[in-house]
This record gives sequence, C-alpha cells and structure tokens, in this order.
Amino acid sequence: MTSRPSTSEADSVTTSVPGRDRSPVRARPASGGGATLITFVGPSILLLLLLNAYPLVYAVIQSLHHGTLLTTGPFVGLANFANAFSDPLFWGSLKFTLIFTIAGVFGSWVIGLALALLMRRKVPAVGVFKVLLLLPWVVPVVVSATSWNWLVATPSSPIPLLAHALGFGTVLFLANPALAAVTVCLFKVWISFPFMMLMASAALSSVDPTIYEAARMDGASAVQQFLYITSPLTARSTYISWVLMTIFCVNDFPTVYLLTGGGPLNATATLVVLAYRMVFQNFQTGYGVAIALLITIVLVAVAVALFRQIRKSVQ
Amino acid sequence: MNAPTTSGGLSRRGFLGMTAAAATLPLLAACAPSSTSTAASTGGGSTEAIKFWDMQWGTTSYIAEAKALVAKYAPKAGLASPSYQSIAWTNFYQTFASAIASKTGPAVSSGSGYQAFQFAGQGAIAAADDVVSGLKKDGEFEDFLPGTFDFLNTKNGYVGVPWQLDMRVLTYRKPLLEKAGVGVPTDWDSLLTAGKALKKIGVVGFGTGAGTGSLLGGQTILGLMINNGGGWFDPDGKPDCVTERNIETLQFLQELSRNGIMDPAAISYTGANLNKDWLSGKIGMGFNNVPSVGTALGGTDILVASPLKGPHGDMGALYYVNNLMMYTNTPSQESSNAFLRWYLDNMKDYWQKGVISAIPVRKSIVQLPEFQKDANSVKAVEEWQPISKTFASMATKGSAAMNAIEGGTAFTTFSQQVVQGQSDPKTILETLQKCLQAAVIGT
Repeated sequence: MTSRPSTSEADSVTTSVPGRDRSPVRARPASGGGATLITFVGPSILLLLLLNAYPLVYAVIQSLHHGTLLTTGPFVGLANFANAFSDPLFWGSLKFTLIFTIAGVFGSWVIGLALALLMRRKVPAVGVFKVLLLLPWVVPVVVSATSWNWLVATPSSPIPLLAHALGFGTVLFLANPALAAVTVCLFKVWISFPFMMLMASAALSSVDPTIYEAARMDGASAVQQFLYITSPLTARSTYISWVLMTIFCVNDFPTVYLLTGGGPLNATATLVVLAYRMVFQNFQTGYGVAIALLITIVLVAVAVALFRQIRKSVQ
Repeated sequence: MNAPTTSGGLSRRGFLGMTAAAATLPLLAACAPSSTSTAASTGGGSTEAIKFWDMQWGTTSYIAEAKALVAKYAPKAGLASPSYQSIAWTNFYQTFASAIASKTGPAVSSGSGYQAFQFAGQGAIAAADDVVSGLKKDGEFEDFLPGTFDFLNTKNGYVGVPWQLDMRVLTYRKPLLEKAGVGVPTDWDSLLTAGKALKKIGVVGFGTGAGTGSLLGGQTILGLMINNGGGWFDPDGKPDCVTERNIETLQFLQELSRNGIMDPAAISYTGANLNKDWLSGKIGMGFNNVPSVGTALGGTDILVASPLKGPHGDMGALYYVNNLMMYTNTPSQESSNAFLRWYLDNMKDYWQKGVISAIPVRKSIVQLPEFQKDANSVKAVEEWQPISKTFASMATKGSAAMNAIEGGTAFTTFSQQVVQGQSDPKTILETLQKCLQAAVIGT
C-alpha cells in the first residue's frame, strides 16, 4: 500500500522508513516548492512581523530612550532598566505580583479542581450549578469590580457591616494595605476559578472510568485514587492551566486597577499597573516600557520552565 | 504542460500573483499620503474643516448643545468651518497623544487643565497670543475673571485661553450642622470643633477620597496648604513643599484623622464611594467642586461656606483654569484663531441653557440670570475665586510637570499617606519634594 507523505516528510524522506508500511519516495526539488511556500506563507509572516515584531522592536527602542508618547526622546542606554532595579516601587510591585500570581494560580486551581471533581458526582441540577459557577468568569470584570467595590469599599458596605455584626469591629477591606492585598487576591481567585474548573473538567473527562473501578476493586481510597490516578493522568492539563493562569495573572490589569488602582499606598500595585502608571500618569514612557519588557522576559522564562515540566510529565 | 488550474478556471500562477498583489495593496495604500496630511501642509486659506475636539463636560444634552453651537459658526470668506467631535474622558490623554502623533488630531480642543502645557512641551500647541491680543484690542479681556489668563501665559506665549473654572470650596450639609448644634466653620479651629460635633452624631466631618481615580483627597490637602499660605511651588515655579506652613497643615489634617473627623476608609474612596456617602447623609462637611453640589451630590441642603481663615490669618483655595487650546497641526492657523475667538464670544449658551456644571470665566456670563439662580456658584465666584490659586501655588504660571504630578503616582501616594494619618508630616513632604523635583526634571 502506498500513502502520500506530508510535505515535510516528502522533503526529508528519501528511503523507506523502518517500521512503516510506506514505499520509498523521492524528495521533490526544494526550489519549486520553496517558491510556493514563500508565496503562501510570506504575507502571513509579513503581517506577523508588522503586528508583533514592529511594536516589540519599537518598545525596545523606547525603553532605551527618555521620551514621551509623542517623541522618542534622548538615548539613555540601559538607564531605565537600572532605575527599575533601584526603585523601591518596582520591587514592591514585583513582590505583590508574585503574591497575586501564586494566589491567583493555585487558589483558583484548588477551587476549580474541587468543583470539577464535585461535578463528576451525581448532583441534582448539575447543569444549573455549572452555569452559575461560570458566572464570575463570564461577567465583565468591570461589573465584577464594581460589585466587589460595593460589597467592601466603605464601612457601611455589606461585608464590613457583617464583620462588625460578628464582632470584628470596623474592618476596612480596601483602606488597610494588607487587607486590600488579600481582597484583591480573593477577587482574582473568584473571577478565575471557573476557568480552572473548565480545564479540570475537560481533563477529568479524558480519564478512563474503568481505571477508577479497578483501583476501587483493589481497595484504593478516594485520596489514593486522586493521588495516583487523577493527579498524574491530568498533570499535562494542570501544567497548561498553570502556564495560562500565570500569564493571565501577571498581565492582569483590570482586576487590580478597577478595584484598588494599585493602592492604598501602592500595596496592591502589580508590575503591569506600575508600567501603566509610569507611562500614562507619570509620563515616563521609557521607564514604563522598560518595566513592561522586564515583565515579558520574566513571563517567557516562567512559560519555558513550565513547558519543560509539561514535556517531562508527558515522558 | 499547462499548470493545474483551480476549479474556477484560475491558474495557480495567477492565483499566487493575485495573492501577492492583495497582500501588497494595503502596504502601498499605507504609504500613500492621506488627504489630511496633504491639506495640513497647505497653510492658511484652506477650506478643509478644522477639527474641534471637545471633552464631555456634561451629559448628552451638553454634547447636543455643543454640536449645535459649533454648527452656528459661519466663518468669513476663505476661512475653514469647524467639525465637532465629542471626546470621552476615559483614557483621553492617550486619545489625544496617539492622534497628535499620527497627525490626525484636532486643530482646536478643550481638555484637562494641564493638557496644553504637556503638548506644548512637545511642540504640538500653537500659541493663542493672537486671540488674546484680539480680546485686549476689543476690550473683552477685562470681561474675564482676574488671574485666569496668568496661569496659561508661558515664556512661549499663551498655551491656551480660559473658558471655565473648576473650584474646590468648602461645602456643608446645613441640617446636619444644625443637628450637631454647631455653626458653619470660619477658620481651622471652628472646622475642628464642628467636625467633633458631627462625629458625636455619627457623621463624617471632613469627607474626602484618595482612592482609585479620585484626586479630591490630594486637591483638598493642597487647597488647605494654600489656605495656610503654603503650596507646592515657590514664586519662581520651583518645587518647594517642605515648609513650616505645609507641615502645620498636615499636622492639622492628622488631628482631624485622629479625632475620627476624617473617615479612615477615605484612603481608598473613589468618587463614587464619596458621592454615595454624601447622598446618604453620612458626610456633613467637605471640599467639593461647586456645581457638583447640586448635581452629583443631589443636595439642595448642601451649601457653600465662606472661605476659611488659616491659623495665621491667610485666605486661599485651590482652583483649576480649564482652557481651550490650539494645535500646530491645523489646516489653517488663521481659521483656528477665528473659530476660537468666536467660541469664546458665544459659549454663554451652555450656561443659559443649563447644560454645563462649571464656573464660567467671563463676568458677563456670571451676570446672566440663569447663572445667578445658583446661589452656591455665585458665592464661589464672589468669595472664593478672588482668593483662589492654581496648582502652581505661589507661582502663577502652569507647567507640563504639573500634569505628571497631579495625575501621577506621587500625588496619590501623598494623599493616601496624609489621609491615613500615621506617617510623619515632614517625611511625607520630603518624599513629595523628591517626586516634584523628579517630575520637573523629567518633563
């Protein structure tokens, strides 16, 4: 039987491949196919360059200058990056970005996974629950942030009133720097867990139920089933959801900005919020863009590390 | 041998050629000069419309009235007509900056108080000296409230012309003061006394907000500093905020905080949070923008107090001179000048029709019966405007640095530290001084 090889195979395979039922094929000359390839792929590459590479290159140029939104300004070399490393506000924002990301990723993952496991059981009106649980993710963050602000912002808001009634005194959720940080993290977990729940549900549905049946027959407890069946078999999906949520958290601007604006006293300023404030409020374009580039570098490093972990888990 | 064809009869080579052509077309189009840029270089005498971008100074009725007003303008022969564009406040600076950078921005606009300074520093603003000269020549310059032009007069000329004021004045809810059994404060001591009395009946005596997007907290603090003969800039416009008067002001504010007169939650209050507390009667006194007392706060029982006397007998308050500016990217500077002058002479329509919440800069508009009906606004003009100073404090002229300062992180952090009431006043001011100096150098 003869099968038609794919383009890549055709270019590389010149003899029969051991272990495959495939006749030897001759690679086509690269010149003719190359021209076709370039003609088809060229416009896409050009568009990608224009849409992605150009802004990135321009951002790098801006980060090396002391400019404004209108002009590039004088060249300052790496001074903007050096300023970032000597700016306490940068380190404070980096610290909160880490806290926010860890809380956002693992908080939403734990809740999302727990709910996904719960949804596998026979729960009455499970469809309604699923829709309700998706709401925090579906509702625009502007609406969610306004709702949360209404719930916690002033001493006469419902949650502070409840806390007062329970004997906690006047709790100022957004006015106290530590509590504001906790509130922002909780808000992030609240709007993110439905995504994690969906990812976990999809992963769990791919696990063969007979494995659990066999494990139960062997006397495995629920915890053992989770640790030795569910966890390893959904590891790939879990790592991917972590990568995605890490990117979502680090790049998340509206959640923080709409709820606290990075305050009080910069306690909830993330690096993205700091970059925005530097560019559009302090008009320090070069410095702000330098911070944004640093975020990009860190994100790429984290993503690469997590993808390596995914590859390991697959192997 | 013929090349294989597609089902539609188009050859593969032809298809590839068309694909390449289609991909190239937008690029060629992008390289072609636009009609705007071509016309912009033609200079005076062009009949291309001059773009007038106007911020949303009121509700939809304001926008409708503004459009109607602009449509009334009939330029002299050879001059261009204006086109009206309403601009939302959300991310307005980015809107202007990107449009100016791409040469698609306005020829004339309203905007934030320092916008003209910011863009003038980048060479995008056309000086309004000819318009000001025309006003002086026609005897209309004196119709403007005193001091309103000074702020806009830079070494490179007038970066704009004033058209309305944004004033921060002390307001109080009369029934709450009566309930607390105290009179309207006249100085800092009586403000403290009234605040304590209001506190006893569970009312906030000094309402303010220093949270997301709320500049009122910092503006209130600066207003009190000016009231005490202080401020952030010296007469030469150099940052100078670590002064005895400013330290004294912060100590007074800390006293308000310690006595529970200032709500500790105000550190994170947005404008919406603050308005909600005003509306629900939780706030008895506080600094506000005058016309908003009757609109956003909905209080017919909220009144404007007379200016406070500082502990050393000084009087002073903070106000903003909102201005109209012209840009160098115009089809015709002569047309921009003519339209701006006409607009200044005809903007009274907004107050006559009650579509704007702002204090006018022209005495003739202040005298309109429609404006005189609002006792709070009249009081603000008569008692507060003469003693008010701009953000420049001891100096009279504005600068681009003020834009970066008031909208920047330093301003928010400063106001939150003061409202929190826990940091040492001198340390707060020393930090602020560094930020002010950095902003001045940076811009």
